[in-house]
Amino acid sequence: MRNLFKIFIFSLIVVVAFSGVSFAQNEVKVEKWTIPFLNSVTGPIASIGEYMSWSAKYAAREINANGGIRGKDVEIKIYDTGVEPDKGIKQMSKVVDDALVVMGPVPEAVIMAAVPLAARNGLFSMPVSTSYEYAQKYFPWTLSWYPPTDEKLPPITELWAEKNPEMKKVVQFVEKWAAWPGMADAHQIGLENKNVEVENIEVPQNMVTFDSLVVKALSKNPDGILLTTNSDKAAKIIKQLEDRGWKDKENILVFSSADDTPLYTIGGKALEGISIYNYINPNSNNPRWLKFKEEYKKDHDGKAPGSLATNYYDAVYMIKEAIENKKITGDPAKLEEERKMIRDYTRNVDNFEGIQLTWDMNEGVPGSKGAFLFKIIDGEKKLIGEVK
Amino acid sequence: MEIVLAQIVNGFSLGSIYVLLVTGFNLMLLVARIIQFAYPQFVVLSMYASWAVLESTNNIFLAALAAIISSIILNLLSEPIFRRINNRENVDINASFVASMGLSMIIVEIMSHSINNGFPVSFPDYWGGKNLFSFGYINLGRGEFYALTGGIILVAIFFYLLYHTHYGRVFRAIAESRKTAKQVGLAVLKSSILSYLVAGILGGIIAILFSMLLGSASPWLGESVALKVLAVSITAGLGNLKGGLYVGLSLGILESLAVGFLAGSWANVIAFVLMLIVVLTKPEGLFGAAIE
Amino acid sequence: MSITFNYFIGFSFIYILMAWAIYLPYRVKDLHFLTVATMAVTAYFSGVAAVNWGWPFYLVLISGILLGALISYIISFVIGDVPTFTVVIVGITFIFITKTVIENTDYLGGTMGFFAIPAVDNILLIMTGITLVISYFLYMIDNSQLGRAASVIFADKKMAYSLGIKPKRIGRLFQTISGGIAGSAGVLYAYFTGSLFPDFFSFHLVGTLMTIVFIGGYSTMWGIIFSALILGGVPILLPSAVSSWKNLIYGVLLVSVILIKPDGLITKKFLWKIKNKIKGM
Repeated sequence: MRNLFKIFIFSLIVVVAFSGVSFAQNEVKVEKWTIPFLNSVTGPIASIGEYMSWSAKYAAREINANGGIRGKDVEIKIYDTGVEPDKGIKQMSKVVDDALVVMGPVPEAVIMAAVPLAARNGLFSMPVSTSYEYAQKYFPWTLSWYPPTDEKLPPITELWAEKNPEMKKVVQFVEKWAAWPGMADAHQIGLENKNVEVENIEVPQNMVTFDSLVVKALSKNPDGILLTTNSDKAAKIIKQLEDRGWKDKENILVFSSADDTPLYTIGGKALEGISIYNYINPNSNNPRWLKFKEEYKKDHDGKAPGSLATNYYDAVYMIKEAIENKKITGDPAKLEEERKMIRDYTRNVDNFEGIQLTWDMNEGVPGSKGAFLFKIIDGEKKLIGEVK
Repeated sequence: MEIVLAQIVNGFSLGSIYVLLVTGFNLMLLVARIIQFAYPQFVVLSMYASWAVLESTNNIFLAALAAIISSIILNLLSEPIFRRINNRENVDINASFVASMGLSMIIVEIMSHSINNGFPVSFPDYWGGKNLFSFGYINLGRGEFYALTGGIILVAIFFYLLYHTHYGRVFRAIAESRKTAKQVGLAVLKSSILSYLVAGILGGIIAILFSMLLGSASPWLGESVALKVLAVSITAGLGNLKGGLYVGLSLGILESLAVGFLAGSWANVIAFVLMLIVVLTKPEGLFGAAIE
Repeated sequence: MSITFNYFIGFSFIYILMAWAIYLPYRVKDLHFLTVATMAVTAYFSGVAAVNWGWPFYLVLISGILLGALISYIISFVIGDVPTFTVVIVGITFIFITKTVIENTDYLGGTMGFFAIPAVDNILLIMTGITLVISYFLYMIDNSQLGRAASVIFADKKMAYSLGIKPKRIGRLFQTISGGIAGSAGVLYAYFTGSLFPDFFSFHLVGTLMTIVFIGGYSTMWGIIFSALILGGVPILLPSAVSSWKNLIYGVLLVSVILIKPDGLITKKFLWKIKNKIKGM
């Protein structure tokens, strides 16, 4: 009996000792979690960069208000890259030695320049606003937030064509920048699947007036117009179309990357009735989303969140989940190992609950996340269709 | 045929942008002997000023005044910079080009960081007004009409001012040689400041016309056209006001036709290649330089 | 050496080489923006040669330098003896042509860009070596009869003609050499960054290079080293909130230098004073 008791006490001591050791091994070694975010807060896409920064920081505030990550606060540190590749490399080089994970970069030129540097140094990047085609080039050191473009986009334009069956011919304005020509090709596939003829018109980047392009488009007698250009140009083209008597506004579709503040401020009333698609459902009843939307509007003069607004919000939460589930410590001695843990977790997470959608990741590629087709009525987006 | 005509009308609209800016650019060459690469940026910043006043007061007159006053201020603020450059013994026009590039960087950075969070600004529809004429594909908006006629009138006014008035002769004399102008008793400083004031008034008027024509402004609007304005001035002949008018309008029409019938991105290339051929065959410009 | 410092030095070398490519023709008052188009051509050539054709680095480097020199040599016949601002138009035109061709050519990656250019071991050492060789070459030119002739052309072209100097020929030679330097910069840029995006080779790059040349001093090659390091250091050394105003800082520096020291920070007179002080020691 006494021997049994001794064995029991001894076992208890051993178990407690090991628990203590493993607890010590899993103890958080940082005072706070600093997540660098390489973003474009200056330059031509600063308007998009601003709301993505806002969203990431909002996520951090929310997390901190609920106890942080493993008891420690999280801080999002913005590193401005503009749209300059060399600036992106320089900013990445500042974080590549110490960061557990990096969010961004955002513009494709900067991704191409800076992500290889991160990859070579074993740092996982999360450029969650870019297309699959860019992110995939750096697997496994990145993940993609979107399925391949030619899987993701055709169903959206097919849906638009179904909503407007009278359309037999569409003119697509295409701005030749980064992945947009590829997206334009994918739009075309969807429309052609519904027997809609498509003619593409190129929009030069430094175009100042658009009447010549609009005349060119109208001379092709289209029934529909698809805009794969930046928000500024999309708004001006729509206004020109209206000036020249275009009546069927629902036969104008604006693509997701143009769903941004300048579209609304420049387009104004001319946008009434047009169609637009993106990946956010503004009518979602998810309490987190409702709160996010309310706070966003408070800080943005009542404007609704941009189409990429939730991406980095979700990215911050995904990192949080990885740190918690994998018991990341932030110990510099374990940096290499913990970076890989975050990488492998986020690239293969199951049932990740984003602010709007729940999805799986499989080797860095998401299952289908769906898209939403809207009509603009009284300045607000009203949902008219969904692609699941 | 209707489409060709429509594109030509569109070309006049685009051309009027170049004419207005190249007139201001040439004016600075004629009265101050400087390559003012930042002139389009001054115009855009004045557009922002008029937008800001329009947003807060909804008063068109005040907004127009704001454009003119801000343009005058910007030009007057730049006067000491270029005066100092021109006062040097060995005046090099390249120095003014480089200094104006620096000014251009400063203004674009300020607009893209500080004004309206760097977002483009939009003018209300009533600012430009409805279409004046519409027939098939041919369309002439009120803003386009004002910009085009404004451009032609301004060129005529400044041509008269510079070549047929006392002040014009004084401005040009000072630009030619400040030292000699001083020696013959001309009020160099006063006239220099007056010339920048005139350039400022012109810039303000251009800003108003642009806001009617384009309906919006962005921090990069000036950059989009600055190179073409420089090219138009060189092709026409540096400082040649009439030449700037003809070449500016021609370039607008050419670009519109190129965009209308060819792939968009090649329009820029065609425009620059044609201008290059002209300047290589006639380095002094098609209509001859008004300055050496 | 930290990664940040590595990239700072690497980019500084590239900017020094490109600024020298502008400095050399400017010795005879040619604002030779064609160098940016040349850099784009050789950078994409390097990408294609390395990735698609499997060429080794040194072959690509030599070919890139020769290609850059050849482009500038051919264009120099077109340029001839035209005024400064006509040379500017040549450069701008070719920048537009190059960018448009790249964006419309799928083989070059089009608007998506060109990826996966393989890294080269000891690239920094190679860059140092090339920069030293080119600096020696430029030093020899500056301190030769050719350099003195260029100074006369800069001061007074008519005087140069009357002294029997041939501005056209010297201009052509300098443009060709400048093309070779730009060619080397294009190759090194491609291998250093590993990817190419057409928007990089634009008038913005011209603005940055002009800033480096005119702040450092356009009358000697040494000021460019100084200004490239300082201006390149801004985005790295200053906090993000300040460095995001990079272009404002550049603009203010540029205007200030033009006003206060129009010849730039490092001038021939300054170098002569330093030389004399050293001799005096």
